[in-house]
Amino acid sequence: MKIRKTLPLSLFVCITAFSFTSCKSDDPVDNYNLTNGVVVLNEGKYNGNNASISYYDFDTQKTYSDVFTDKNNRGLGDTGQDMIKYGSKLYIAVYNSSLIEVVDAKTGVSKKSISMVNDSNEPSYPRSLTAANGKVYIVLYDGHVTQLDTTTLALGSKIAVGTNPDCSVISNNKLYVANTGGMAAVMDSTVSVINLSTFTEEKRITVNMNPSTIQADSEGDIYIASNGNYGTIAGKFQRIDATTNKVTDIAVSVRNFCIVDDKAYIYNFSYDANYNVSDKTIAVYDVKNEELLTSSLISTTLDNTPYCIAVDPSTNYIYVGTTDYSTLGKMYCFDSTGTFKYSFATGINPSKVVFITK
Amino acid sequence: MPVQTISGKELTGLNASNISDVAQHFAGVTVKDYGGIGGLKTVSIRGLGALHTGICYDGLMMTDVQSGQIDLSRFSIENIASVVLFNGQPTDLLQPARMFASSGVLSFNSLQPAYSKALTGEVKMKVASFDTYNPSLFLNKYLSPKWSLNILANAIQSAGNYPYIEQLNSSGTNTEKKNRVNSDVKSLNSEVNSLYHFTDFESLSFKVNQYYSERGLPGTDIQYSTYSTERALEKSYMSQFLYQNKNSCYLQYQFGAKYNNSTARYSERKSTYSTLTDNTRIDHYEQNEYYLTSAFQGFPTNYLTLSASLDGWYNNLFSSSNINYYDAAKPTRQTVLGSLAAKYIHEKLTVSANLLYTFTHETNTKSDVAADRKRLTPTVSLSYQPLEDKNLRIRAFYKNIFRLPTFTDLYYNDFGYTKLSPEITNQYNLGATFAEHYSGLISELECSLDAYYNRVSDKISIMYGVPYSSVRNIGRVDIKGTDVSVKASKKINSKSDLSVNLSYTFQLAQDYTAGSATYHDIIPYTPVHSGSGALIYRFKRFEYGYNYVFSGKRYIGQNSNASNVLNPYIDQNVFTRYTFRKFSCTAEINNLFNANYDIVKYYPMPGRNYRLSVSYKL
Repeated sequence: MKIRKTLPLSLFVCITAFSFTSCKSDDPVDNYNLTNGVVVLNEGKYNGNNASISYYDFDTQKTYSDVFTDKNNRGLGDTGQDMIKYGSKLYIAVYNSSLIEVVDAKTGVSKKSISMVNDSNEPSYPRSLTAANGKVYIVLYDGHVTQLDTTTLALGSKIAVGTNPDCSVISNNKLYVANTGGMAAVMDSTVSVINLSTFTEEKRITVNMNPSTIQADSEGDIYIASNGNYGTIAGKFQRIDATTNKVTDIAVSVRNFCIVDDKAYIYNFSYDANYNVSDKTIAVYDVKNEELLTSSLISTTLDNTPYCIAVDPSTNYIYVGTTDYSTLGKMYCFDSTGTFKYSFATGINPSKVVFITK
Repeated sequence: MPVQTISGKELTGLNASNISDVAQHFAGVTVKDYGGIGGLKTVSIRGLGALHTGICYDGLMMTDVQSGQIDLSRFSIENIASVVLFNGQPTDLLQPARMFASSGVLSFNSLQPAYSKALTGEVKMKVASFDTYNPSLFLNKYLSPKWSLNILANAIQSAGNYPYIEQLNSSGTNTEKKNRVNSDVKSLNSEVNSLYHFTDFESLSFKVNQYYSERGLPGTDIQYSTYSTERALEKSYMSQFLYQNKNSCYLQYQFGAKYNNSTARYSERKSTYSTLTDNTRIDHYEQNEYYLTSAFQGFPTNYLTLSASLDGWYNNLFSSSNINYYDAAKPTRQTVLGSLAAKYIHEKLTVSANLLYTFTHETNTKSDVAADRKRLTPTVSLSYQPLEDKNLRIRAFYKNIFRLPTFTDLYYNDFGYTKLSPEITNQYNLGATFAEHYSGLISELECSLDAYYNRVSDKISIMYGVPYSSVRNIGRVDIKGTDVSVKASKKINSKSDLSVNLSYTFQLAQDYTAGSATYHDIIPYTPVHSGSGALIYRFKRFEYGYNYVFSGKRYIGQNSNASNVLNPYIDQNVFTRYTFRKFSCTAEINNLFNANYDIVKYYPMPGRNYRLSVSYKL
């Protein structure tokens, strides 16, 4: 998930006017199911009404570019921010439409669209999703976390966390939420810790400014990538110790990462003077032994800019989604040694990957 | 150089309420309209982009140093005598240097009533769909045969909550009916003009204009959402004078000055602004311009005109926001423009050329500031009459000019990039005009046909990125096009006449950026085919009109693929007017066939709507 800075009207108008695109298949086919493959949530463009779901089938090696529209005869909405699979359903947070879509994970058919609003009936903007104990925890960018019962699909109680919370992770029956403060006068620098038994915020742990991606290892340690203030304060990769809550800096440059099997798969890049993306690398960091296994796993040159990373736990294949922010994206697949296996086209801004295996 | 004019009866025969409604009837113009009375409206000439269009009001150029574009929705056509589009630049040489500094100029001029001892003027009330009320008043008084004074006030109030149809899938088989929300507008435009004629050829004009607008910005139509709270409060104050002396047939000159102050306050309430007072983000902008111009024109021989003009001005911009983890920049720019021009007219041939020198110097409270710029840019044009007895003229021009990066391009937080170069345009035009008076089937006929080739290079393009985007000079756009326009009128008898205006544009504006993934794709929002037409029939006290604007399909993104297509549209309007002595009444139906269309994707345009105006001339 990316922090999106708000822009002045004039600029906003010129950007959106020239750049939003939609991605819809001309020839809807709905005689397929999501049985064995990769499901990709495409964020689309902010204000572009073109969030979508792509599906790559392992058996047929075929890509379906707009599953949600194929199955529901309507678009997913504006800005697909997060997607998880829990039980037999997919839960999708559609940020700018302020919706949670609950979708049958096999058929792709919507079971319920839940409009997320606050007490004043204003959108509360779902940002990230996690699930445990029969509940989906919905992080709302207006500074709250709420819960959705996965059987009744009814919303439960809501608690306040820090400012503009973004990513979240569950570890040891605790929900850790990264508070960015991305739309505040001063950015936030904390992680909220929520006890899921009582559904109360236990504490806030101070980390580097503007934390975003947050993941846990098998020992309960929490890893955070933060962005800083894009100026005087740089981004960092940090660890919160599971028992002491002590925060330690890790000397690895991280744009985004995921942890699977106690390995953090990290992508990083930088911008050159012409604002072209350079130094695109995939690194692997052992989160158990706290050591960098490789700083450059792949030799393949990625098109455009990495936008998401995921690892299939059944094969340890690494998936890297790339974007140019305005046209169709691409999903690369590498095996665990970094050898290129295949790629397929996605929608605009592929932001999240879910694996559905037999 | 191609010049198109809409004035008088043609102007009132277009169902137009603001200048952009008029401009879309010019060949080669693409209007960008975000919908509704308060929606941003800009014009792009021949595929070059709106920031290359200079906007001129009563002889002096308008400015917006922040965004580089003037919102035409604020200029109502009340009190406007003529709207003129110059490709390249105006042909008259006695001009401020700034008139030569754009790729094209859209100019509009206010009404100057003829001499009368009495108080003259007009009071008008318009009532339109979506709770729109628009009273206006224009009064003109000659204080002496040499000195006239007039005032104008024009107020608009509108709910603007028009219905539209949102498409939930690309085939349009699943739709939702919605209404625009947060689209209300309140505005007041007031103006005082004074014109003093020392002689028939020497005058001093003075203008003060004040504009106030408070409106909702409904924004993009977001699927499954109807939430919109962004508001804009704009105030601007402008005063200018222009002294012109054409008494001598050897040396003529003019001097002018202008001051412009505009402020804008944008606010938006959103739950995500949870740390801000009342969950509301507030941005303030203020900009000022101090402008001086002088121009001289001499006639050394019967065939030759020489001119020199020198302009200097100063701009600044202040901005602040309550979501401010940045040090807001406070940039200033000093600009000096000098132009030398010559025109040679001999029998059938007219040749003119000018050379424009631009110097800019900028300062900024941040350490980063754009370097000084010095540029020399030429324009050459010629016109030739090949046949002895026919009013056929061949014309051609070449113009090289640029647009400066805006203050947003240069200085907006992380987005801006101070090393930007100007965005350059080269225009080549070859065309012909034909005008004739007849006594047969047609009374008057005017036709023009132009073919052009334009290139935009060093294009200032947004480089998308995370966590922020930026701008760089990359990209080239080549535009090949043809503009055609025909005006014909027929005086049927002493009580009735008929006039027809038609225009059509073919243009291929394509990405020619080396190595681009979208090489040869069509530039977004530039239709290949577009055109307009107007038919006016007058009979005794009645006037009937039909007019249309059409646009072929456009692409909303860099890729010219099917998923980026924005459908063609045709917007058709009719009106009828009854005039009896000083009294006039007009009934209009706009978007007669209730076309459901967007000019800018997800900014729906109003469907069929009605307007009734009643006016009384004093």
